[in-house]
Amino acid sequence: MLPSRPGRGSSGVIHARLIVDELRKQGVTDVLGVPDNAAKALLDLLAAEHAIRVLTVTREGEAFAIASGLWVGGRTPVVLIQNTGLLETGDALRGTAMRMRVPLVCLVTVRGYARMAALGLRPAPGTLSGELLSRPDLDSVALLTEPTLTAWGVPWETVSSDADAARVSAAFERARELEQPVAVLITSETVAA
Amino acid sequence: MTRDDVLRPLARLRGAAVVVTTMGAVRPWARLSEHALDFASADSAMGHAADFALGIALAQPARTVICLNGDGSMLMSLGTLVTIVASGATNLVLFVLQNDTYEVTGNQPVPGAGRVDYSAMARAAGFARAHTFSDTAAYEAALPSILQGAGPVCVTVKVEPGSETPLGRGPEQAAAYLRPSLAESARQLRRALVDPR
Repeated sequence: MLPSRPGRGSSGVIHARLIVDELRKQGVTDVLGVPDNAAKALLDLLAAEHAIRVLTVTREGEAFAIASGLWVGGRTPVVLIQNTGLLETGDALRGTAMRMRVPLVCLVTVRGYARMAALGLRPAPGTLSGELLSRPDLDSVALLTEPTLTAWGVPWETVSSDADAARVSAAFERARELEQPVAVLITSETVAA
Repeated sequence: MTRDDVLRPLARLRGAAVVVTTMGAVRPWARLSEHALDFASADSAMGHAADFALGIALAQPARTVICLNGDGSMLMSLGTLVTIVASGATNLVLFVLQNDTYEVTGNQPVPGAGRVDYSAMARAAGFARAHTFSDTAAYEAALPSILQGAGPVCVTVKVEPGSETPLGRGPEQAAAYLRPSLAESARQLRRALVDPR
């Protein structure tokens, strides 16, 4: 498995403008996804970006297929989804962007990360069990996110605070170098100011 | 109608359109067309040909993009009908070849076989135009106008089940566009669309 940079814990918020600046630097033309609370500030800013088209889809798997078509047609799309939606995308991601080797960055807001980190839990495939995944004090999707990406062969960068914003551009560089999708795990809520 | 009744006139009239095929249409289309803008959504993700085609249509608004979808594939992503309209794409022509079966796995019936009206669904989703054909002459007469003007357009054609088998890719394939890998096919189409030297 390709090395992925782990998170440094959640600082609570990330300024959405910093992420948008990185997307602009990378020449992003389209953002595809399904909204979630953690991405609200980011989506609000993107809505005002005339050079970036935001398209809301009906299910997250659609985003990867549309993004792949956009790339084939010469655009520079990104996918923006929550980790719950990431789990839904399995075959769409595998059969389109991954199998087509599309250098696609997928921004994934990580629901449940702060609680998981506060409990000192680090998800790993060998540690997952029905008992752990049904704990009422944990959001199981946070436990599953990194092991799922590992299983699917998708490396990731983690953005936990404003200081990590440059990792968005690093993900683009990795995606181009590897010719495949790379995820950016956004482990804190995005805020406007 | 047979599938060839649908594809043969379309192959004559497609012009410079991108044609994305999937499942039972992949090999029959290749017997009629060998074009740099043909793309087989094979060895890929079932149910994602229409949304992949939508991406191309959004990226290439001056070019018509035709998707030859099946009813089984369409059922897997009905939400895409809504996304297509919401995206504002006007250059997508979405065929639903309705044979009421999952043909490549042995013609098992799809859910709602014989009862589902795909063009009515497309119309309800907001498609600019939606047609249903079960007669070859009527289809051939309408096809030129279907391929012109603003879309998105949904064209449901009721066809007999065929006998296509599961798809593969590789140098042994008779269909030229199934010989490269999916990744190489995607790059070939990208070059044809973005850098056609």
